[in-house]
This record gives sequence, C-alpha cells and structure tokens, in this order.
Amino acid sequence: MEFDWSAEDEEHRREFREFLAAVLPGDWEEIAQHGPGSDAQAAFSYEFCARMAERGWLTQHWPTEYGGKDADPWRHSIIGEECWAIGEPRGPQYMNVNWIGPAIMRFGTDEQKRHHLPLISQGKVLWCQGFSEPDAGSDLAALRTRATRDGDDYVIDGSKIWTSYANHARYIILLVRTDPASKRTRGISVLLVPMSTPGIEVREIPSVVGDRYFHEVFFTAARVPVSCRLGEENAGWDVVSYALQFERVGAARYARAARTLDRLVAICRERGLTRDPLVIDRLAEARAICEAARLLNWRVIDQRAHGSPPTADTQLARVAGTNADRHVGELALEILGPEAMESGTFADANFRLAMTAGVAVGATEIQLNLIASRVLGLPNE
Amino acid sequence: MDFELSDDQRAVVDAVLALCVRHAGPKRAVELRNAGGGCDAALLEALAAGGYADIARQEGMGLLEATLVAEVVSRHAGVVPYGAQAIVAAGLTDQPLVGPVALAHDWDLGEPVRFAAHARTLIFGDDDGVRLIPLAAGDAEPVRSDFGYPMGRLVSDFAGRGADLGAGAHARLASLWRLALAIEIVGAMDAALSTTVDYLKVRKQFGRTIGSFQAVQHRLAECKVLIEGARWLAFEAAHKGAPAEGTATAAAYAAAAATRVARETHQLSGAIGFTREYDLHVWTLRLQALSLELGGVSGHRRVLAALRWGLDTDS
Ligand SMILES: Cc1cc2nc3c(=O)[nH]c(=O)nc-3n(C[C@H](O)[C@H](O)[C@H](O)COP(=O)(O)OP(=O)(O)OC[C@H]3O[C@@H](n4cnc5c(N)ncnc54)[C@H](O)[C@@H]3O)c2cc1C
Repeated sequence: MEFDWSAEDEEHRREFREFLAAVLPGDWEEIAQHGPGSDAQAAFSYEFCARMAERGWLTQHWPTEYGGKDADPWRHSIIGEECWAIGEPRGPQYMNVNWIGPAIMRFGTDEQKRHHLPLISQGKVLWCQGFSEPDAGSDLAALRTRATRDGDDYVIDGSKIWTSYANHARYIILLVRTDPASKRTRGISVLLVPMSTPGIEVREIPSVVGDRYFHEVFFTAARVPVSCRLGEENAGWDVVSYALQFERVGAARYARAARTLDRLVAICRERGLTRDPLVIDRLAEARAICEAARLLNWRVIDQRAHGSPPTADTQLARVAGTNADRHVGELALEILGPEAMESGTFADANFRLAMTAGVAVGATEIQLNLIASRVLGLPNE
Repeated sequence: MDFELSDDQRAVVDAVLALCVRHAGPKRAVELRNAGGGCDAALLEALAAGGYADIARQEGMGLLEATLVAEVVSRHAGVVPYGAQAIVAAGLTDQPLVGPVALAHDWDLGEPVRFAAHARTLIFGDDDGVRLIPLAAGDAEPVRSDFGYPMGRLVSDFAGRGADLGAGAHARLASLWRLALAIEIVGAMDAALSTTVDYLKVRKQFGRTIGSFQAVQHRLAECKVLIEGARWLAFEAAHKGAPAEGTATAAAYAAAAATRVARETHQLSGAIGFTREYDLHVWTLRLQALSLELGGVSGHRRVLAALRWGLDTDS
C-alpha cells in the first residue's frame, strides 16, 4: 500500500495544468458556469479536445491500435480530475472517451470502429446517451422504446427523456427493445444512431439547473440500417453493463467540490468572514468530506489499475462524491447568504451544478441499496 | 499509488488478527472492567512479543504498518494504549519507553485521561514542548468511567519533570496523536457496524428480518461510506508519515463519523444494545471517548483549516 504519485504522473499533471492555462479562454470561468451541455461549452469542446488529441492525451488510456497509448487508469484519472475540477472543458466529450469509445472497441464491427473511433479520438464528435425514459428511470430495464426489424433496417418508435447534450449531438447511443415480447434486461439492444435521422425530434426541457440541460428525444418511425447495432441483437444489456464499468467512478465530483471549496475560502477571506470560528469549522468539515471522497474514488481507480472486476466499492465512491459535491454547494449558499440568490454569482452557479449530483447517472438510493446488499450482505425483502 | 496490502502487510495484519482473537475481544474487555478496570498487560505483552509494539521502527516497516495493527487491535476492543505506544511514541522518539504509555496535554490535567492511572510513562505536551515523564505513585488516580477505557486523572503538575524532546515535538505529538485517534476510531466504528449488521441479519420483527427494511439498510450503508472514508484517510496519512494536515483531516472526519455511527448502531439495535451482556457498547462508548480527545471534532477542524488555508480566528 502506498499513496505517492510517480514522478511521471506528477509531471503529467503539471504539464496538463500548463496546457489548461494556455488553452482556456480568459472568460472560461464564465463559460463553465452553465454546465458541459451549454452551447458555449459544447462549441469549445471541439477546439479543446482537438488540442488535447494533438498532444496525445484525449484517448491516452485507449489501446495503441485505436490511437491510444495504453496509459494506465491513473493517468487518465489525472486528466479527469483536472478537467472536472475546472468545469469540464471536454464538454460532453468526456463520455465518448470514457465509455462510448471503449464499448465500440469491444463490441463494434470493423466498420463501426473505422468510422466512430477516429472521430472520437480526434475530438471531432459529440454524443448523447439515450437510456432513460419517462417510465424507466432508476429502473432502466423497464424501458419500452422499440426498434422493429424491417428487412435490413430497424424502425424506432418511442421516446427518451433527460437526454443531456441531445441538442448538440451527432450520434445517440440508444437503448431499445428489439424483442417486443421480452421483459426486463433481455430483448434490449444498443443502437448507434445519427441524430440527423428523419423521425427524430429533440425538445428541450426547461430546467432550473442550467440552460439546455435536459431534452426529450422522440422517435417516430425513425429508420436506421441494422448495421447501426452495437453488439448482438437482444444482448444490449451486456453491452451497457460493460460500458458502464468504464464509467465506474464517473465524473470526478470530489475534485470539483474541493476546488470550489478553495475558491469559497478565498471569497470568505476577501469578505472578512474567515475570522468567524463557525465558518472555519464548516469549511474544514467540508474539506474532510472532499478528501474522504477523493480516496474512495481513488480506491476504485486502483482496483481498475489492478485489473480487478468492479465491486460495490464503486457505490461507496459515488455516494461519497455526491455528498461532497452537494455539501460544498449548500455550504457556499449558507456562508455567502442572500447574495447567492442573484443569478450567475459564484454560489448560485455552483449550487445549481451540484444539486443534481444525487440523481444524475443513478440516484443515491440505488447506490445505497447496492451497498446494503453487496457490501453489508443485508437480505432483500 | 497502490491501495492493496503488500504481502508483508497482509502477513502482519493476519498475524495480529490471530493474536487478537486469542488475547482480546469485547468479552475480555468487559471481564477486565469487571475485575477493576486495568490495562490488558497480557495483550500488551503478546503484541510486544510478536514485534508489533515497535513495528514502526523496524526495517521495511513504518507508521502505516503500525496503523494497520492499531486498527485490528481497536476492532478487537484491546484494552491497551497501542496507538499511544506504536504510533505516537514510536513516531516521536527513538528512546525505548517503559509502557504502558498515556498521552496528555496540560489542559488535560484534572480531566479523565485514557490509561493515565495505569501508565508508567506519560507523554506530556504543553506550550514549552513535549516531555517524556516516568510516572510515579501518586501522579494519577483512577476515575470511574463507562466510556470503554481505564481512565485516570493526572493530579501532579509535572513542572520540570521528564526529558524534553525539543522544538517541533509539540506539533509532531499532536499529529501522531491524531493519526492514532483516527485509526482507533475506524476500528471501533467498523466493529460496531458489523456487530449491528450481523444482528439485523437474524433479528426478525413483523415476520421479516429487520435488516431487510430499506429504511434500516440505507442508514447502515451511509455508516459504511463514512467508515471507509475515514479508514483511507488514516491509511494515506500514515503512509505519508503523518503530515499535520493529513492527520487533522483524518481525525476531523473520523471523529465526526464516530458519533454518527455510535448513534445509528445503537438506534438500530434496540434495547439489547444498552445491555452489558451485548457487545455493542464496548465500541460505541469508546467512540464517544475517542471523539472527545485532543480537542475533539472542532479542535481537529481548527487545525485542518489553519494548515490548509492559513485560517485562524486571529488572522
Ligand atoms: C443532470 C442530469 C442529467 C441526466 N442525463 C441523462 C442522459 O444524458 N441520458 C439518460 O439516459 N439519462 C439522463 N439522466 C437521467 C438519470 O439517469 C435518471 O434521472 C436517474 O437514473 C433517476 O431516474 P429518475 O429521475 O426517473 O428518478 P426515479 O427513478 O423516478 O426516482 C425518484 C426517487 O426515487 C428513488 N427510488 C427509485 N427506486 C428506488 C428503490 N428501488 N429504492 C429506493 N429508492 C428508489 C430514487 O432514488 C429517487 O430518489 C440525467 C439526469 C440528471 C439529473
């Protein structure tokens, strides 16, 4: 057991920070306030990811045959931390490099690989994730959107909801039911669908989180060739399970929370709030919460670096990361007070980014269920 | 970066586990208390004989290994000042000390202090530094306490006594002490939680095991998140040689988690949790004691804020 970064990893982080300082625009903090799905951030992601690709960093954790460098998960986690901490300049493309690309590598046909992987590794494409439906949230296996085989095509009917980035995306990674008689996890397939396909309509769902955060995506007799399918027909659940292994820890929320906390301290200092022992106490409490989340997340990265299969430690890490993010978000409101009510202020922007943490990519209660059964071994009803 | 135990570390942990199964455990803790509440000399001796008392100073070993051992000893409710000896004393000085060892600050004078009435050496911190003081008869008297450890009150003023460890020792004492506290809290929390989980897997009400109620499961799962976070914070701080900010972070997190875990495990155990016959109290009352030591949660947080951001109320 040891907790030191190698000299190479430290150098990598230093170099990446220099790169960030050089390529981020002067008004980046402003841009980053609106979340990775905003117009400005999505647009910037093309420029940013292309420059990361030039340096060989965007997909360094991919195998060399697909344009990567076989870098270990720690290397990639450094990029994830640094990017997420400052508001994710990769925009929606973090999904591509973290798990959509790897899923295509594992399950894709040669043609799919030839087409999609270079687009992703060069930072030239935005994707969105079409999983959730109105009646399939936490219970994803209840999904109903169907794809009916018609010769060499699938005809898709149904709708997806909460789809982030759908307004900008060129492709959607879509979960559909291909066996109409099937239930639950069987009979589901994954399709890689161009968003330009006739019969697809995107509607924004106005939200309090930020502009263009959520969308509904409607499919009305949308026709795509069968060659869009990723993996075997009706075996899509395996594809998704595999893909989401790569997203085990997901966004480095703890890193963002820790950085936000440092900024909060700086603001408190300017305002003369840091002589208040209660403020000091709360800030330190939050710091410890962020640090605990960091280590629980690193624990999961370590398991991956060791090549061990995913465990429910992932859920511990997620709950801790979510707690850290929300804790800091709420603390900034509490300490800075009513000024946070004004849109665009530091506390406002941060709070609204943090408030979804317990629901996005799987609600906390579901994580707690898994901890109870898999870590504590508690029985089901 | 590597979160797995090395083969050597695994061997140490396994051996100490076996040793604790033989020499420690909640029943033994209760037995000792009923017999008048001393320090467990046999366990201390067994730990020393196994080479674990000074493991931090051995070739190829260090504070992390002492911390791994301390967690096991605490999980088995060992009635010994293992952290004070193997983490604090070992980290402070190369001099061999006569055990048992107690830790105190000048502000602890007159207050209940763990092991004070049974210790032969006192590690004593005040504004002038840290002194190693051989304790004599009359320096401390036992205090009746239900909080899981033999408590004593230091009644001498110790002015001018003991060898001074010199400049810098004061901050070092606090940092090592926080590491020891953090890991002892982790061991006790883990034992309290697993005792409770095991019980709730078999206890039935309303025709089903209580552990199958989701309202109960989520509270236990949240405790687990706290415990694991506290554990890794302590391990990281130990591996890095107990840097002051790292140990303050670990202790601040652990001490806050301790009261939560103690409250939840008691609540979810029902009335049996309050009986002397049932083991839970051995750990939960200790958790309260540990969470109050060395300035408690707010004290650890104050240090953390000072070290992380240079904040203090005078600035
Ligand atoms: C910011 C954000 C972005 C998102 N982006 C996408 C996206 O790009 N693509 C996509 O497909 N989806 C996306 N989602 C959807 C997300 O995956 C779902 O919101 C999430 O899985 C929860 O589903 P739900 O919202 O329907 O809540 P529900 O499942 O209706 O849950 C409501 C509440 O009930 C609780 N609950 C549900 N089941 C149980 C249970 N068995 N035990 C205890 N409690 C339970 C939940 O924990 C939650 O607290 C996004 C969501 C958010 C907030």
